Amino acid sequence: MKKFKKLLAILLSSVMAMSLIACGSSGSSDAEDSSELEGGVSGSLLIWEHDYSYEEGIEALIEGFNELYPDVEITYLIRGDGDYDSLLKTALQSGDGPDIFWTNGTATSTMPDLVDNGMIVDLTDVVDMSFISEDALNVATVDEGIYNVPWMQMDTRTCYYNKDMFEQNGWEIPTTFSEFVTLMETIYNSGTTPVSMALDSWCLLFAYEPILAGYDHEYCEGLSDYSVSATDTPVREAMQLMVDWAEAGYYGDNWTGVLDSSSQILAFTTGNAAMFIDGSWDASNISMNNPGLNYGAFAIPSEDGTTGLVGTEAPGFSINTESQNMEAAELFMNYCASKEGQTAWIQAIGGVPSTTEIESSSEIIQEISDSGNGNTYRSWQNVLSNYSDESEASNIWADDFTKIFTGEMTVDELCDEIEVLMQ
Amino acid sequence: MSGTMVRKKHHKSRNYRLFILPALIFYTVFIAFPIVYGLFLGFTDWSGVGSFNIVGLKNFITIFTDERFTPTFFNALINNFKYLICVWIIITPLQYLLAYLLYLKIPGRKYIQFMLFLPQVISSAIVGFFATLVFDPNIGFANSLLSTLGLEESAWFGDPNMAFKLLIIVIIWQSTGTGIMIFYANFMDISSDVMEASKVDGCTEVQRFFHIMLPMSLPAASSNITMSTIWALAIFDLPYMLGGSEGGVSGSLDFDNIVFYRYTFGTGLNGKSDMGFGAAICVVMFVIMLIVTVIQNRVLARFDYNS
Repeated sequence: MKKFKKLLAILLSSVMAMSLIACGSSGSSDAEDSSELEGGVSGSLLIWEHDYSYEEGIEALIEGFNELYPDVEITYLIRGDGDYDSLLKTALQSGDGPDIFWTNGTATSTMPDLVDNGMIVDLTDVVDMSFISEDALNVATVDEGIYNVPWMQMDTRTCYYNKDMFEQNGWEIPTTFSEFVTLMETIYNSGTTPVSMALDSWCLLFAYEPILAGYDHEYCEGLSDYSVSATDTPVREAMQLMVDWAEAGYYGDNWTGVLDSSSQILAFTTGNAAMFIDGSWDASNISMNNPGLNYGAFAIPSEDGTTGLVGTEAPGFSINTESQNMEAAELFMNYCASKEGQTAWIQAIGGVPSTTEIESSSEIIQEISDSGNGNTYRSWQNVLSNYSDESEASNIWADDFTKIFTGEMTVDELCDEIEVLMQ
Repeated sequence: MSGTMVRKKHHKSRNYRLFILPALIFYTVFIAFPIVYGLFLGFTDWSGVGSFNIVGLKNFITIFTDERFTPTFFNALINNFKYLICVWIIITPLQYLLAYLLYLKIPGRKYIQFMLFLPQVISSAIVGFFATLVFDPNIGFANSLLSTLGLEESAWFGDPNMAFKLLIIVIIWQSTGTGIMIFYANFMDISSDVMEASKVDGCTEVQRFFHIMLPMSLPAASSNITMSTIWALAIFDLPYMLGGSEGGVSGSLDFDNIVFYRYTFGTGLNGKSDMGFGAAICVVMFVIMLIVTVIQNRVLARFDYNS
């Protein structure tokens, strides 16, 4: 009897241990599934994204891909913007990473870091990139290898405006930079906040870059090949202008209490501010926030009337070198790089296409796209990130940009800090 | 002692050891090992992926001497200590007073009790959201009210002189209930014989408060203050919700845990993470918390009623 009890105990313990092992090994891919490639491609894939605003894009991609490969089961997880990079690194380090994941390309140090550690598949000879432009591939290239399938979509900035307010007050869309400055003064004098702004480095950047383009478009053209200094006079003067406008009350008397983009959008969508300078990706948030808002978009013009869109092509997905279903992952990335995949993604998320081969998905996106008159300028922050060691200049900018608006630093002090870090 | 008794005792202690073994294994793997490993990582330059190099004391030297980092770290540490002082001189006395009022069975105490404990069941994220609804300069209730009354509106959390005070008000609203519960339970525990004897002896309410209630609730105050101190030095969620990962305007809502988060995991889209440096910050914070807690416990021990 005693022996039987012992045997039973061992048996039960083994069952428990096996069940624990089974639970613990539920990784990103079902290895068993992936090995069953009978005829077509099958198995499962797990994708990680960093922001909920791209959920519709992923769903559109999965739908399109599954029409071609119905046996591949794709699931996705959106892992929250703030913690995304650390979660991704931890998952990859522990060998439990997703098959496919988003990175911010060469805009930050994460993708190059993962490349250095052999955690991302080199897609150069794996994916047909013929639909992707050279400019777009720049955000995906590390040491001549391509590690990411970028989107032919401009992550651009624009000036949204409240059409009803403009009509009621007889305000006109500016055609020169001085008209833009006068417009802000006129709106301010009428008792309305001209521009909704937030005291956050990224929110301020998305306003600063199009203002810089309007202030000196020739300088911005030089940023594309880094033939101009990133801290040249136009950079300092445009920054100082923004500081002066803040002091003049153009962002509202208490704008320093607006600390994130959500509150910034709310100030515009609730009619507290007449304009809102931000990314094209926020058009969907504006519409969602106030579906009845009658708004449009224009590019801040330069003094000679030239307009352009500031931004770079958006980075997309990469493949984990440890993926258990490499064949399906590569096929998925090929679908992403195709015209069909690019169209599905860009139209679903309401992105601004950077190619005429893809149509805009909405009127406002078309308006943003048209406002650039075919001119594009490289993001100033992208230059900081790409031309300093480990993106250090970009990190300094992110830490200190708000300080020039709170009086803790001067524009020159910030630019001097950045200057010494630039290559 | 006979051999049978020794065997029985040994058998009994073996059972005890087996009983605590699962918990000990979990504690070692998930608590003790990460602490020791974290200490080790403080001496490396590990970014979070791949291999790392041993960099000796470099991370610790950076914490105390770096031109950029040191002021940020100490500004945050000062905020932690400002909050700690608020715990000692505002929050704990307020909790004590409110618990005493509830103990006195004031009229409407059930309603007051409910309102005081209500925020306990709300997460910090929701509390932060409520605070935004009230204090947002554009859509917030507070500015609407001021505007209606014809008074000057404010930037609230955007005003560095006001942000910290507002945070303390929100924390008081959120966390007063915990301390009240501890004090109230302690009051209920005081023997009714003592209270009745004091009444028979003609004690006034004030005398009873200072000579009976206060000395007898010092053990509860001690544990309450110790817990609040640890929370004060480890605060993260609410200031993060209200001031973001940059620690609010001019670092007014920056605390050392937020600094740790910012430098360890990178700020959002920047993506630069430095686990080695983050581990070093943790070690320094651990030492600071240990020193504060030891000093505080020694001071509180002097007021221990039993001793």
